[in-house]
Amino acid sequence: MTMNKKVETDSPEAFIEEREKYQDVLPKRINVDPKNADKGLARLFLTLLELIRKLLEKQAMRRIEGGSLSEEEVEGIGEALMKLENKIKELKEIFGLKDEELNLNLGPLGDLM
Amino acid sequence: MAIYIYGIINSNEGIDRLVNGLEGSHVYNIPYHDIGAAVSNFHPDTKEFDERINRSHIFVHERVVEKLIERFTVLPARFFTIFYKKEDVLSVMKNLYGDFRRNLDRLHNKVEFGLKVIWPGEKIRKNIIDFHSQRYSLAVPMPDNPSLKNFIRERYVQYKLDREIEELADSFAGVIDDFFRGFAHEKKLEKLKTKNLLLSAYYLVDKESQDDLKKAFERLKKKLHGFMYLLSGPWPPYNFIIQTKKPHSVKNAGKINISSKIFQKRIFSDILD
Repeated sequence: MTMNKKVETDSPEAFIEEREKYQDVLPKRINVDPKNADKGLARLFLTLLELIRKLLEKQAMRRIEGGSLSEEEVEGIGEALMKLENKIKELKEIFGLKDEELNLNLGPLGDLM
Repeated sequence: MAIYIYGIINSNEGIDRLVNGLEGSHVYNIPYHDIGAAVSNFHPDTKEFDERINRSHIFVHERVVEKLIERFTVLPARFFTIFYKKEDVLSVMKNLYGDFRRNLDRLHNKVEFGLKVIWPGEKIRKNIIDFHSQRYSLAVPMPDNPSLKNFIRERYVQYKLDREIEELADSFAGVIDDFFRGFAHEKKLEKLKTKNLLLSAYYLVDKESQDDLKKAFERLKKKLHGFMYLLSGPWPPYNFIIQTKKPHSVKNAGKINISSKIFQKRIFSDILD
């Protein structure tokens, strides 16, 4: 089905829906309005922190998949990841931020959340 | 008065009466050596400037670029790029002449097509969970702490699941790309922008190969069922311009980037209106 001379698809709504998922995933600009400056900066900081957490977790899982870690090493990695995740959760609650507010599209890594 | 730029073309000749630009303005060519800037005059009333910018301006910009591409090779300018003096336009062309010339030569007689493919991401994920996740055994000694053990196991299963989905996506993307490989001088592929958007691809093809590409698209749809497809084009080569040099800053040059959200949504908005 050709919608116009430029676009051919049978499912325009499906593609619009998918586009809207990644269209607005960049954080909004930092809000430097004095009333909201804290939250804007917190959002940026926590987005970056969550990115680092995800990367560390992926690296850790690769090492576990490799099968060469000792029990102590697995325990250490697991504890560190758990603590990091809990700390980020805590900070999100303090600043009143939801998971979807910390999303970024990371290209090959997919969506952050 | 300001100068609104539509794009750089591979011609230093006049282009009068080819097409009208924003707000009915006359589109003309500012030449520099063997290239030119396709522009029109624009009168930004600073008080109401932003309010005047609307979707009709985007359509006019697009229409001008498409008209130009019928006759020339075009490096499209970003929507609402303006300059306040002709000398500024010439300065940019002088500064970036090498880049412009190389791009114009490379993109001569070529157009861009976009391909998007949606797969049943949730269903595939569920199938893998139901039938394959039993295989995700951990080959390392686990800690005694039950909550820690569960945490690690959950994250590991998620990691393996994500890996398997990525590999499957790579596999399908390769099959799809094979249909277009023969026509594309260049391509850009992006996999899994969302869970369901398997592939978002851009292909640079010769103008003469457009029909062949469309036939390949029909063959693809028949071959791979259960997916949704969108083919768009031909477009000017928006995604294949390579810029190695940034322009020197030009005093009083305006650059208002309304573009991405409004301009890119244009592809779908005129379908639904």
